[in-house]
Amino acid sequence: MLENALTALDALFDPIRLAALFVGMIVGMVFGMLPGLGGVAAVSILLPFVFYLDDYSGLAMLLGAISVVYTSDTITSVLLGAPGSPASAPTAIEGHALAKKGEAARALGVGFLASMVGGLMGAAILFFAIPIAGPIVLMLSTPELFMFALVGLFFASSMVGKDLAKGLAAACLGVLLGVVGPAQAAADFRYTFGQVYLLDGFSLTIVALGLFGVAEAISMLAAGGGISHKPMTVSNWGAGFQDFWNAKWLVVRASVIGVFGGFVPAVGASASTWVAYGHAMRSTKDKSKFGKGEIRGIAASEGANNATVISDLVPTLLFSVPGGPAAAIFLGALFSFGYYPGPRMITQNPDLMFLIVWSVALTSIVGAALCFAVAPLLARLTSIPFAIIATPLILIMIVGAYQSTSTMGDIFMLFMLGTLGWLMKHGGWPRAPALVGFVLSGPMEQYFWLTNQIHGWSWLTRPGVLIIASFIVIPMVINLVKWVRDRKATTAVAERHHNDEEAISPVDEAGRGAALVLAGIALVMFLYATWEMFSFNPASRLMPALAIVPGLPLALWLVVRGIREYRNDFRQDIGELWILGVFIVYTIAVWAVGISIPTIILIAWMLLTRARMRWWTTLIYGAAVFATVRILFDLLRGDAPVGALLAFS
Amino acid sequence: MQRLTLAIAAAMTVGTLAPAAAQDMFAGKTIEVVVPFGEGGATFVSAKFLEPYFEKHLPGNPEIDLVSRPGGGSILGANWFEQNAKSDGTTILFTTSSTANPFVLGQEGVEYRLADYRVAYSHPFSAVAYVSPDTGVTSAADIKGADTPLIYGGIAAAASDLPGLLSFEVLDLDVRSVLGFNGRGPVRLAFEQGELNLDYQFTPVYLTQVVPSVEEGRAVPLWTGGAMENGVLKARDPIAPELPSVYEVYEQMNGTAPSGIEWEAFQGVASVTYAYGLTGYMHPDTPQEVLDAFAAAVAAINADPEFQAESQKVTNGARLNAGPDTEAAIKAALSPSDEVKTYLRDLLSTKYGVNF
Repeated sequence: MLENALTALDALFDPIRLAALFVGMIVGMVFGMLPGLGGVAAVSILLPFVFYLDDYSGLAMLLGAISVVYTSDTITSVLLGAPGSPASAPTAIEGHALAKKGEAARALGVGFLASMVGGLMGAAILFFAIPIAGPIVLMLSTPELFMFALVGLFFASSMVGKDLAKGLAAACLGVLLGVVGPAQAAADFRYTFGQVYLLDGFSLTIVALGLFGVAEAISMLAAGGGISHKPMTVSNWGAGFQDFWNAKWLVVRASVIGVFGGFVPAVGASASTWVAYGHAMRSTKDKSKFGKGEIRGIAASEGANNATVISDLVPTLLFSVPGGPAAAIFLGALFSFGYYPGPRMITQNPDLMFLIVWSVALTSIVGAALCFAVAPLLARLTSIPFAIIATPLILIMIVGAYQSTSTMGDIFMLFMLGTLGWLMKHGGWPRAPALVGFVLSGPMEQYFWLTNQIHGWSWLTRPGVLIIASFIVIPMVINLVKWVRDRKATTAVAERHHNDEEAISPVDEAGRGAALVLAGIALVMFLYATWEMFSFNPASRLMPALAIVPGLPLALWLVVRGIREYRNDFRQDIGELWILGVFIVYTIAVWAVGISIPTIILIAWMLLTRARMRWWTTLIYGAAVFATVRILFDLLRGDAPVGALLAFS
Repeated sequence: MQRLTLAIAAAMTVGTLAPAAAQDMFAGKTIEVVVPFGEGGATFVSAKFLEPYFEKHLPGNPEIDLVSRPGGGSILGANWFEQNAKSDGTTILFTTSSTANPFVLGQEGVEYRLADYRVAYSHPFSAVAYVSPDTGVTSAADIKGADTPLIYGGIAAAASDLPGLLSFEVLDLDVRSVLGFNGRGPVRLAFEQGELNLDYQFTPVYLTQVVPSVEEGRAVPLWTGGAMENGVLKARDPIAPELPSVYEVYEQMNGTAPSGIEWEAFQGVASVTYAYGLTGYMHPDTPQEVLDAFAAAVAAINADPEFQAESQKVTNGARLNAGPDTEAAIKAALSPSDEVKTYLRDLLSTKYGVNF
């Protein structure tokens, strides 16, 4: 085994292969930083070139791209607050809050180091666990996977926040978004309104970009031409190293969570990131800083998402079952090179297995080092007015969203969900529970249904299920014991209680108007969902009901509360509302006359009126932005949208 | 080095075969092959596998551009083709029964007129049924004497699972079907975990993933969907000639040839899923010369020793089909009789709860 490992290392240190690995890594870094474009986009852009190389170089190139994406996305998440990829949404919440306080270097340092450890843990697991990973994956049958989803939900419950009604309603709304599309249990298509676009449900990328990214871009544009914020400086890494060291065991635990997330096919980095974030929250005594810049939140989520993306390769290589979309493309490339992953792979191609391990490990280290090097340079960009950065940012998000199906529906959905995200941000609804609800609703329903179909209720006594259930039961028992003890020592009660209540909520002062509008929209959605639910097969009703039964009364209560507290405070957000309106008009214009004309007008509008650039700088910069966007459309091989009224793209 | 010599040898053979008149039909052109599934999926990988051979053997050596347009269980990509395909043969829709079944069943959202399209080429995509030895079953004939209830795992009744489910109807098996998996990979995993005991896998996966289990005694192969012989899906599949076809299994069990509505429905659906599993469709107005050029290219590819060697590894030596017979068979399967349609819709809505 060691001999194979060394042969593989020697094979990798061939100059062409190393060059391929680093080219892949650079592409992966860039795509990781572009919000909405991640591993899948990077790998599909590289795929055509891979076939010009020999098998080892080609695969090294893809691995370089796959393994660095979740390291470099930290930069965008921290500096701009728009998640670089869906799995770094927790980093966007905590890291951006820290960056606003001038502690960007701390956030980035911890993020990079945690990413590196997560990646190395993933590589180590691949290395040592290949002989035993097979049996582990085989032990995780549907009942165990269902229990994992429950554990995720339990950990995520700590994200609900201070305003219980809003937090729970947001989670229910997320679950409701998650059930759109094909039902797992029976042949129902839920809430598709007869649109083919919705037959597959919502894409995770678009939901993450819509809920988090669009709202951030809007507030950047609203900030206008002046520098209304402190430029972020990234200079002193010392504090970050110290924080990382303090949180080292948390990072390791988060990586283990991430590794298991990768073993489970099709659960993916997003779910395990949220689970790790929830774990960080539960294991941190003072929860008051979550949502306002908690470094441990970053450490956990970055450790987890990097570990997941690499351990995703375990089911891919051992069983030909890809763990995520990027792994699926990697699998396709393996096939094309004539490798057929499966039980025989370890004995037939041991060198290849180790080549993969080394590529991943090397990229994790070099990628993190490179991120340390470029982050200070990128941070300097924040000293230019945000409106100037927001212009390409919003267009790249459109390109990213458009990767899902390359139809107009992607752009519509981005701004529809963007509106929802904006209302949530301003109405004081936490967005994290909504995204978690969305991510977990699919696997929960699927595994519950399969489990009950195959095993009846006998699965409840399986040893694996009991072990996983202990992850929920043990913390609950410990908390109960603590609570009883605290009650005896009556003095501490008030204090503790206060702390628990304090949990996370990224709420500043919620806009009363936005809160009422959002509660109204949610109420209408839940009412409609209830009505349509009765046309489904009984088996397909369970998951929507899980969202509706608590969601409907909560939304009703929030409407009542909203009316009682109503104050016409739309004026404070009038600038942002205008921008939102412009985006909606833009979407309709793209539908009508194709992408080019509305985009040119939008760029001009953003640069001239929002960023207040001079006309000639607008001309140069705007032309560069437009050209980049067109090139991206072409590179990613999605034809740009053509107008419905004017056949022009 | 060996590859290179083979390639040269192949190029020389083709040079003599291709008709001179059509020599430059596609010179300098790009053919866009639309795959309505994700990159890395089985259909995309198959298209990628065929790409160099078409580039080499089509007159004028066009460049082939593979484009993946996933969404709506392949309906979005096929609808895109309906609206955007060119009629000169430079746009091809390369797809599977996942696109054909919604069309045949008249599902909502289908805008493409698949039965009107021209068929440029087709590649078999046969499947093998296998069972767990825990059931006590040792061959296809004693499947009815299984010791334990049969549990089959699948994705969705109206999609690629349809022929498998119909084969159970034809053979009158009592099978519990658990639908709702993410893909055939997770189904196979659940089989290995012992949660399911009856499964169908497509050939490339069967050869690389299931055959090792068969050798270790952890899976028992049963039958294949069969191959076309004089318009009947009865012959043994050349990919796994040691296994009987569903037709043969029925004969062994009942002593007569299968007939009736179940058989007709199975034969129609199974032929587009297995025998013509991966098919390249073209715009309805594509000129006959273009189709003839593709038929000639397919003949050249089948004769190309490099293709033969590579396909031996992946599909046990499956060959491409093209020409009028192939097109007629596919079109017939895409336009079933009203009785078959009604039977399918009834079966799917009563037994599997599909809403139409």
